[in-house]
Amino acid sequence: MIRHLQFASARALKEYLEVKAPANAYYSSAYYDTPSAPDMVGKGWQGADLVFDIDADHIPTACKADHDTWRCLDCGAAGRGFPPAACPKCGMKKLETETWVCEECLKVAKEEAFKLIDDFMIPDFGVSQKEIEICFSGHRGYHLHILDERLRRLGSDGRREVADYVRGVGLDPRDHGFREIAREGAFLGPDMRDGGWRGRIARAIYAYISKCTEDQLRQVVKSAAVADTICRNRAKFLENIASDPPFWGGIKGYSLESVVRIALAAAAENACAIDERVTLDVKRLIRHPNTLHGKTALRAVRLDYSELESFDPLRSAVAFRGGSIKVYVKGMPRVRIGDHEAGPASSVEMEVPKAFGLYLICKGAAEPRS
Amino acid sequence: MLAKEDLAKYPFLQKAAAFIEGRNLSISDLAGPEFSNVVRRAVERVRSSILGEEVTTETSDPETEILSYPLALAFVYASKITWLVNRFATSEAKRCEEELRKEPISKLEEIGNASFGWKVEANPISLEWEKLDFRLGVWQYLEVAPQFHSVSWKLTNKYLNGGHVYLKAKDFARLLAENLKLRIVRRASEEEIRKFDLPQLLMPHLEGLLKLAEERKGTFEEEAPQGLVDGAIPPCIQAIMGDLASGKSVSHMARFAITTFMINVGEGVEDVLRRFGNVADFDEGKARYQVEHIAGMSGSRTKYSPPKCDVLRSFGLCVNPDRTCSRVTHPLRYYRLRLKDQRRNGGVAQGAKGGGGRGSA
Ligand code: SF4
Ligand SMILES: [Zn+2]
Ligand SMILES: [Zn+2]
Repeated sequence: MIRHLQFASARALKEYLEVKAPANAYYSSAYYDTPSAPDMVGKGWQGADLVFDIDADHIPTACKADHDTWRCLDCGAAGRGFPPAACPKCGMKKLETETWVCEECLKVAKEEAFKLIDDFMIPDFGVSQKEIEICFSGHRGYHLHILDERLRRLGSDGRREVADYVRGVGLDPRDHGFREIAREGAFLGPDMRDGGWRGRIARAIYAYISKCTEDQLRQVVKSAAVADTICRNRAKFLENIASDPPFWGGIKGYSLESVVRIALAAAAENACAIDERVTLDVKRLIRHPNTLHGKTALRAVRLDYSELESFDPLRSAVAFRGGSIKVYVKGMPRVRIGDHEAGPASSVEMEVPKAFGLYLICKGAAEPRS
Repeated sequence: MLAKEDLAKYPFLQKAAAFIEGRNLSISDLAGPEFSNVVRRAVERVRSSILGEEVTTETSDPETEILSYPLALAFVYASKITWLVNRFATSEAKRCEEELRKEPISKLEEIGNASFGWKVEANPISLEWEKLDFRLGVWQYLEVAPQFHSVSWKLTNKYLNGGHVYLKAKDFARLLAENLKLRIVRRASEEEIRKFDLPQLLMPHLEGLLKLAEERKGTFEEEAPQGLVDGAIPPCIQAIMGDLASGKSVSHMARFAITTFMINVGEGVEDVLRRFGNVADFDEGKARYQVEHIAGMSGSRTKYSPPKCDVLRSFGLCVNPDRTCSRVTHPLRYYRLRLKDQRRNGGVAQGAKGGGGRGSA
């Protein structure tokens, strides 16, 4: 890796990239006095953008069973789908994984990006659409940069608070409007129209109670009697908390404690799946927009908010158009690049569109043949 | 309107700095006989903070009070003793917080807007049964709030809407005071301050303060440590140790948890610092001051204890809890339980030799 480079102009950077043709090109999210200095002290850190990384790898989607595998390096046990935290057979944590992305993965990543923008950044953090820069990473997800000068100097601890906020880490419903009142069992609670997590919790409870089964509810509140009471009075319960002002009492037979449990279970579905390590870093290396990703040969594409909805990464990020190449495929699940779809396949030679072939080669799943 | 009395109470007001600049005085001018009151008051402020006495505001002579603040700071910075800086910062913050809590909302708003370049608004919102008195920008809130180690200060648990964090008046007062403390402490590591030397004429006063500081410091360095027993460390603390050993930078809360834990089981400041040594952005000076503060050598005399399990849990730090964990609500309790178990089992297995109790289980 060549580091600490500094360019006087965008043109100088472009010329350098053309000559060197690196497999991957990154820039730092930090702003420095002297970017080319070899150490942090010499660089003079001025600040950094706030960055969010949404990566399908971190989201346990159902499709992972179709295209991902893992194997324990200690005992050899293997399985399909989202890798477990530790080997279910021997408990060791050294797992080897083979992961792929599919349209489903990328769709979920896009939904998370929308959630981050529409549910958190704009309403809660007051960030405007034009202050949000979106970039398809060229592989499994999206990077979002918040370009607000006021937050550039924010330290790592402050950034962690932002990451925790969108992930709902440490959420305590009792800090969001729930309060026991003198009469035993009676309590007050938040309004669905409130902002921030306060309103989100109220809406999440409403949505959860609307659709949960009694079984699910019993597991959450840890009481058959309470689950029964709420389910029998479901319509009343929903009407009460949706009224203006909301009415959280009214039905006997459950306590604030139960509602807090429901709140936590329901809120989890509203949290946003970001890779928090990227957000709290004040000097993160980020793939340079419009360069190729070394693992996919796809382009990292910068997008406007208005373009995100219709963006199809497996089509719009294809860099090599036209032409075909011959490859020997070692093993792959079903893959689509552009309009070409193939697989699952293993140990075969095939002639494929250039972008498709390069994708497999970069993933390490195929070798070029002439 | 902010009066002279306000400047005396709140030295972080921009107007207080302007007032001093307007007098066109240098620190050496304050050594002159016409300012003996100022010197006396400055020495008194530092003394009280060393002794852990409550510092109150002298409003009978606001000018002396205003001028004594930068001089007191000059003594503190010139001492080059980190724990003294911290201690002074803490007692000033405490004094200011107490004054702030007596102020009406409109005055608090005025002070909030005239100090750190913050934009603060009063009386913004009533939610159901509770009224939140203030709002300020989320990025400004986050400059300070991560310093607080309680779950209710987490941004996740604040009312955040349209880029504003909403706070009750008493919390807002706390936030302002904490920011004062942060600024005093952070300035100490600035080049200009580190190079600062007191004018000769004022040296005798500083020497008196240094002597007093030495005496006090001694009283915090007693009790010989017993040291950390590996097999008794709870999973949460082990995980943080692992992260540190592999050079990962860890959260403020994680640093706080591991430091308080180690200090409480009798490790020394140096032992704790060694753990942090691998981390890339390790700043020895800053870390030392934090650890010393937690150890109770500086700032408040209270030794901090580690957060309880449920706090650690909500900060995502409770990882891989084990069987012992289900019996405890506090990591220190885990440690003591394990020690007891080990002593019981170890006593049988290791016979008379004991072996220092370094379990490997
Ligand atoms: S239960 Fe308590 S002691 Fe155990 S790992 Fe969690 S926080 Fe640590
Ligand atoms: Zn295994
Ligand atoms: Zn998929």
